[in-house]
Amino acid sequence: MSTLDANAGHHDEGSYLSGPPGMMARIWQWATTVDHKKIGVMYLFAVLTMFFIGGMAAMAVRYDLLDPIRTQTVETLNAAGDLETTTITTGESLKEIMSGLGMGKDLTESQIYNRAFTLHGAVMVFMFIVPSIPASLGNFFLPIMLGAKDVAFPRLNLLSWYIYVFGCLFGIMSILLGGVDTGWTFYTPYSTSTDADHWRVVLMVMAAFILGFSSILTGLNFVVTVHKLRAPGMGWFDMPLMIWALYATSIIQVLATPVIGITLLLLVFERIMHIGIFDPAMGGDPVLYQHFFWFYSHPVVYVMILPAMGIISEILAVHSRKHIFGYRAIAFSSLGIAGVSFLVWGHHIFTAMGELAAILFSGLTFLVAIPTAIKVFNWIATLYKGSIVINTSMCYALMFLFTFSIGGLTGLPLATLATDLHLHDSYYVVAHFHYVMMGGTVIAFMGGIHHWWPKMFGKMFNEKGAMLGMALVFIGFNVTFFTQFFLGTQGMPRRYANYVDEFQTLHQISTYGSWILLAGFLVHLVVFVVSLYAGKKAPANPWGGLTLEWECESPPIEHNFHHEPIVKHGPYDFESVVPPHCDPKEFPLPENGGHH
Amino acid sequence: MTMPTLASGQPDILQEMIFGKTPAASEAAAWSDGLFMMITWFSIFFFVLLMGLMVYFTIKYRRRPGVPAQPSPHHNTLLEIFWTVVPSSSMLVMFVLGFWGYSYKIVSPDNAMELRIQGMKWSWVATYPNGATSPETQALSKVVDTENHIVTQGKQYPIFYIPEDTDVKLNMMATDVIHSFWIPEFRTKMDVVPNRYTGYGFRTPKLTANDTYAHQETGEVMSGRDMWIFCAEYCGDDHSRMAATLRVVSREVYDQKMIDWGVQLSPIDAGEKIWKQVCASCHQIDGTKLVGPTWNSVANADGQFGYGYAAELTDGSTVMRDANYYRESILDPNAKIVKGFAPAMVSYQGILSDEDIDNVIAFIQSISDLDPNADENTESTEDPESQAEESAGSET
Repeated sequence: MSTLDANAGHHDEGSYLSGPPGMMARIWQWATTVDHKKIGVMYLFAVLTMFFIGGMAAMAVRYDLLDPIRTQTVETLNAAGDLETTTITTGESLKEIMSGLGMGKDLTESQIYNRAFTLHGAVMVFMFIVPSIPASLGNFFLPIMLGAKDVAFPRLNLLSWYIYVFGCLFGIMSILLGGVDTGWTFYTPYSTSTDADHWRVVLMVMAAFILGFSSILTGLNFVVTVHKLRAPGMGWFDMPLMIWALYATSIIQVLATPVIGITLLLLVFERIMHIGIFDPAMGGDPVLYQHFFWFYSHPVVYVMILPAMGIISEILAVHSRKHIFGYRAIAFSSLGIAGVSFLVWGHHIFTAMGELAAILFSGLTFLVAIPTAIKVFNWIATLYKGSIVINTSMCYALMFLFTFSIGGLTGLPLATLATDLHLHDSYYVVAHFHYVMMGGTVIAFMGGIHHWWPKMFGKMFNEKGAMLGMALVFIGFNVTFFTQFFLGTQGMPRRYANYVDEFQTLHQISTYGSWILLAGFLVHLVVFVVSLYAGKKAPANPWGGLTLEWECESPPIEHNFHHEPIVKHGPYDFESVVPPHCDPKEFPLPENGGHH
Repeated sequence: MTMPTLASGQPDILQEMIFGKTPAASEAAAWSDGLFMMITWFSIFFFVLLMGLMVYFTIKYRRRPGVPAQPSPHHNTLLEIFWTVVPSSSMLVMFVLGFWGYSYKIVSPDNAMELRIQGMKWSWVATYPNGATSPETQALSKVVDTENHIVTQGKQYPIFYIPEDTDVKLNMMATDVIHSFWIPEFRTKMDVVPNRYTGYGFRTPKLTANDTYAHQETGEVMSGRDMWIFCAEYCGDDHSRMAATLRVVSREVYDQKMIDWGVQLSPIDAGEKIWKQVCASCHQIDGTKLVGPTWNSVANADGQFGYGYAAELTDGSTVMRDANYYRESILDPNAKIVKGFAPAMVSYQGILSDEDIDNVIAFIQSISDLDPNADENTESTEDPESQAEESAGSET
């Protein structure tokens, strides 16, 4: 136990949030900061803004699917008593909204829909979910949890934020010019031929290309920080599991992102200069693009989920006051997942590759399921004999176990070749990856934000309001996406603006669910804003955590710690250590605590 | 190949909820449903077990003031080996079964009937062994609402007839971008790629008394089984309308269709057939605006359309819609874009033959109210010609 009292001495050091008086001076201070905490908060704001934009596109997608598009010929008797036929088109809900805004006159409903789902995918993947946890919570807490003053390269850290914003501006520019309809995967030869005389596709591809650099720099920074800046006394196996997860994530980011950079550059060359790498008319191979693309984009799925798994390990341990079960198994499974993730890209293209390759990739895909299963078992075993408190972040962690397990288990028929031939590119896949990406990453992100909110901003939030938001998100999420499994197995292909009659009921249920989901997130937004302006001051350690961030003040001072912390206990030794800043009466130790 | 049976003949309620009331169309498809159900029951078992433990622990070990968490081991090697080995071996079983089912699904016997599938934005064309193609179509939504006087609904899709109880092998290629040929009732799909042959096989079911469909024009109830074919790989604007119907019929009906469709058609009828197969996904002939302009002669808010009428282009100029204009628009579609439309069409060079193009133009002429020989017959064309001039004049 590091026995240094955070409140002892150095009282003159203010919180990292305090700054010079005057609006412009504050803005300048934030814009030029190299403090990882400020950069983390700026990332948090930026990724949540992109989440909002991507979310609105998702709402548009679901709204279109409420009704199928139908052209009806209606016979009516006119005034003269003659039979007159008129044509009516129904279900063009997005077109109505767009024309209400005076936009998209030349676009059909399908074209608007295709742009909306591409916008949703591209924004959510490249601008939200990849940077989400590592860049915001990771930036804020990785150095603190290691006991460091900052990341290894603070200026590089600020640069990566600017590159991120710059990349997002490219994406937003593309959207403002009318958006793209390639799908977020930019499959050739569609992406090299669609909308041929316009720059929108190039802009969106360049956005993803630029964002890649931000990702590489953050990853590099984290790897060096973990290797070099651990506090005295912190060995590799004394690190919190969040750090292990971020470490594994960073390795993937550094190794895989250059591949997508090269691929996207080739795509731009193909589009502008027609070099013929992917164009079958010039002897190229369009499926080659898919291999290049998924060689990055499959590992990056684990960039999205591994940090979420790190958060879950922290929340479950702290809020049940239990040592994490199988620490090493969880740490090594993170690295195992990172390694195997490079070998399974082929399962995205089972229907476009040879039989032998398909069989090999099917086998390898099952391999990646095993470390994931082990983690879930370990988390549930952690709860055994705990002292479990039910609050918002714990509920999100439990919700993660629920939705992520569904996401993982429904992946089994997709790895199984025979069943995948049916489910591939159907709504089943849509439901599956939303259970993993949203039910996994976003839910854990929400849990993490609530877990660390008091630390980041020094304010408590309204627990009842947050619980209400959590409940709405849980219900809304499951109503929206569970129905989509059935749509998929019954034959509904993905990326369809329109559908045959038999799918309408399920589509409608799914759309109603998306409204509940939206309501849940809006409740959270209100709770956060109210907390910032009127929240109670947060204690240094509201939940009784043992990792180093709970030894800092809430919010932390500029250099995180008054003295360099010395680590004398493990991150999960709840049985033998009273948490810093906590009343031993509230956090009693078991009788034989500290004696083994 | 003998396959271990996974599916019972009678699907249970859960299986019906998952796959719908229509049964799988082939033994291989039913087998794959059985495998899916096996994995589903496996998943349900573990999900209930894990969630049950989670809820039980959360309630039993809820925080009580002053009561600490009880120490328990931080790891347990035996337990951890157990829960590594159990999922690993279960997944090995799934992998092997999946591999078997995969070969069961995609391999077809050597004597299978070959159906050539051509995928293009945004339609499917199937060519039979005798070179014939199907001219028949039906609407997306077949609901006819007499009360509200709704007579037709939705776009027309081609119907591909295939004989019952026959091995079929698909030989597929795309002409523009990547598509994917999915017949949900056979539980199989494969990508349709430009410049590469792909394919899979299936055995069509024997028809039962329950297998009936309503004839698309007469409404007469006929023996046969309709299945949807969808494009499953995103291919642009009308991806969601790139559908077709696979109609399993008796051998006699199929043989008769082959004889009927093999007959030489007149240029106009041949052009109409090509329109239905290739062009109708973007060009209507009833005045409706799709991705491309309508072909019949009609004047509406978007302008004047039809053979023999002048077209206003995006650059503000006008051009007469004559045979050369249509030919250019088929071979080099972006050369002249009609005002109000996006350059969305791909070239049909190499896809449609010269004869096909002649036939399509003959069909376009036939649905215009202008006499095709307008130049020679001044009397009857005076009025429309002045109309064309008027519209040309008003644009400058």
